[in-house]
Amino acid sequence: MQIYLPIAELSINLYLLLAMGVGVGFLSGMFGVGGGFLMTPLLIFVGIPPAVAVATEANQITASSVSGAAVHYRRGGIDFKMGFVLIIGGAGGSYVGAWIFTMLKASGQVDLMIALAYVLFLGLIGAMMFWESVKVIIRNYKGEAPTVKRRVRTWVDALPFKMRFRKSKQYISVILPLLIGALVGVLAAIMGVGGGFIMVPAMIYLLNMPTNVVIGTSLLQITFVTAIVTFLHSVNTQTVDIMLALILLVGAVIGAQVGARVGLKLRGEQLRILLAIMVLGVCAVMAYGLVTEPEELYSIARASADGGH
Amino acid sequence: MTRYKTLIALLTAALMFLIVKPVFAERLVTDLSHDKIAINSRFSGADLLLFGAIDRNILQEDGGHGVLSFGLDYDIIMVVSSAVKDFVVRKKEKMGMIWVNGANHVISNVPGYFIVGSTNPLSEILTPDLLKKHEIGLKYLKFKFKDNIPKKVKSDFKAGLIRNMKAKGLFMEVEKSVSIKDEILFRAKLHFPANMPVGKYNATVYLVRDGAVIARKTSSLLVDKEGIERTIYNFAHESSALYGLLAIVIAVFAGWAAGYISNKMS
Repeated sequence: MQIYLPIAELSINLYLLLAMGVGVGFLSGMFGVGGGFLMTPLLIFVGIPPAVAVATEANQITASSVSGAAVHYRRGGIDFKMGFVLIIGGAGGSYVGAWIFTMLKASGQVDLMIALAYVLFLGLIGAMMFWESVKVIIRNYKGEAPTVKRRVRTWVDALPFKMRFRKSKQYISVILPLLIGALVGVLAAIMGVGGGFIMVPAMIYLLNMPTNVVIGTSLLQITFVTAIVTFLHSVNTQTVDIMLALILLVGAVIGAQVGARVGLKLRGEQLRILLAIMVLGVCAVMAYGLVTEPEELYSIARASADGGH
Repeated sequence: MTRYKTLIALLTAALMFLIVKPVFAERLVTDLSHDKIAINSRFSGADLLLFGAIDRNILQEDGGHGVLSFGLDYDIIMVVSSAVKDFVVRKKEKMGMIWVNGANHVISNVPGYFIVGSTNPLSEILTPDLLKKHEIGLKYLKFKFKDNIPKKVKSDFKAGLIRNMKAKGLFMEVEKSVSIKDEILFRAKLHFPANMPVGKYNATVYLVRDGAVIARKTSSLLVDKEGIERTIYNFAHESSALYGLLAIVIAVFAGWAAGYISNKMS
């Protein structure tokens, strides 16, 4: 059954979209990741204009992270003070990201930027995850115990404007969480991702937050930052397709339920190596698209919708 | 003197021909199976029928009793086009390892949809001059370039634009897509892809005989988004801030509801 998407302005198979939602939802449920970094490239592959894919995916991530954030809130797993600082940073970052996005859309380079950002970040993250899980597997094979490092004082402790975060048991400078929040905000605006894959490691390794508040706080930040991104893209480029976002959400909710159950049966490092391979796969496909000579060198866009702002 | 006589006779014949010519005029009656296409959420393109009849109001040699059936091989050409717009055409260039959008030029006077159908190949029906005059055919479209650039670059960009539009199914030239029955009735099926631009379309039918356009008729067609599609599109473009807020509210509510339902299920 075909469905016409009002903002993307094209007709696409409804079941294909639902299947994509279920598939990505399944994977995100299984691996415990947001799935934006899989969904956005997938939307682009099936022909949704990259700008619409990014903006709409930000909207969908708001929907898929809000219930998770609510669950963690009831468990007391959110550091609101830290979350607030991260959101402030995220708001600034997403404003900058949306501005870059709008500028590049007008000059016709937004598709290139999205592809480059994906290749760069997926390549980096995928390689790091792959290496980490290989190390764990080798260590398990040799029967060594994981080494626990004591936190050492670094340049982070030397930064000014320190603030106490009771829930996270930290007394640190607000500059670092502001910067991390800002980076995630930029990525959310230009890539259509929640940014959990950057946020969670950054909270654990850079901010030294206890693991019981990491996921909840990052979900809170993601909910707010993607909401801000949705608003900015709606105002700047009118690229948020509510209908597309809702269809993807329905699929994702179903998929995530099944995925979470399957994920419980697999071991952590196996899961992580699978995820790493998938991330690297998406990265390779996008990189291939950049380096091969396109069949059609010329592309067209409506002049008014493209450079009028 | 005989020379003069022949000349006078010829002139008279020519004059007579000119005078009686209007009597030979055919009339075209055309219609579209729909005069409106509504783009709604189930829209996946539309097929329309353009049909009509050739009303042969011809002075016949025997005063109208017999039927003159030779020398009347009509050809029909139909051109359907939407309003003209400006397009940016970009060319990809290799920069180091990767292909990026390089040079770009704005081309104006480009119809968002343009289809030519005919009973026979266009080159067999009309001379290039006439085709050009009536803008029949993709290569006779009068595109305008905003920038002053060499002719070769212009023609490359123009060809690129046409290839792109053809690939989207928005530009088409289909020979033998119009059929004529008994030299009176004609019909053609028109296909409109789902990505068709909205707005007013003109469908012009040309009646051609002996290499000349002897009649033409234009009917109009309206393409518009309807229902929820129209509402969402207008809302997003006219009050984009409010649309953004609504998108957030819907997402939060849908996300919360989805979480609630999956909680109940597990």
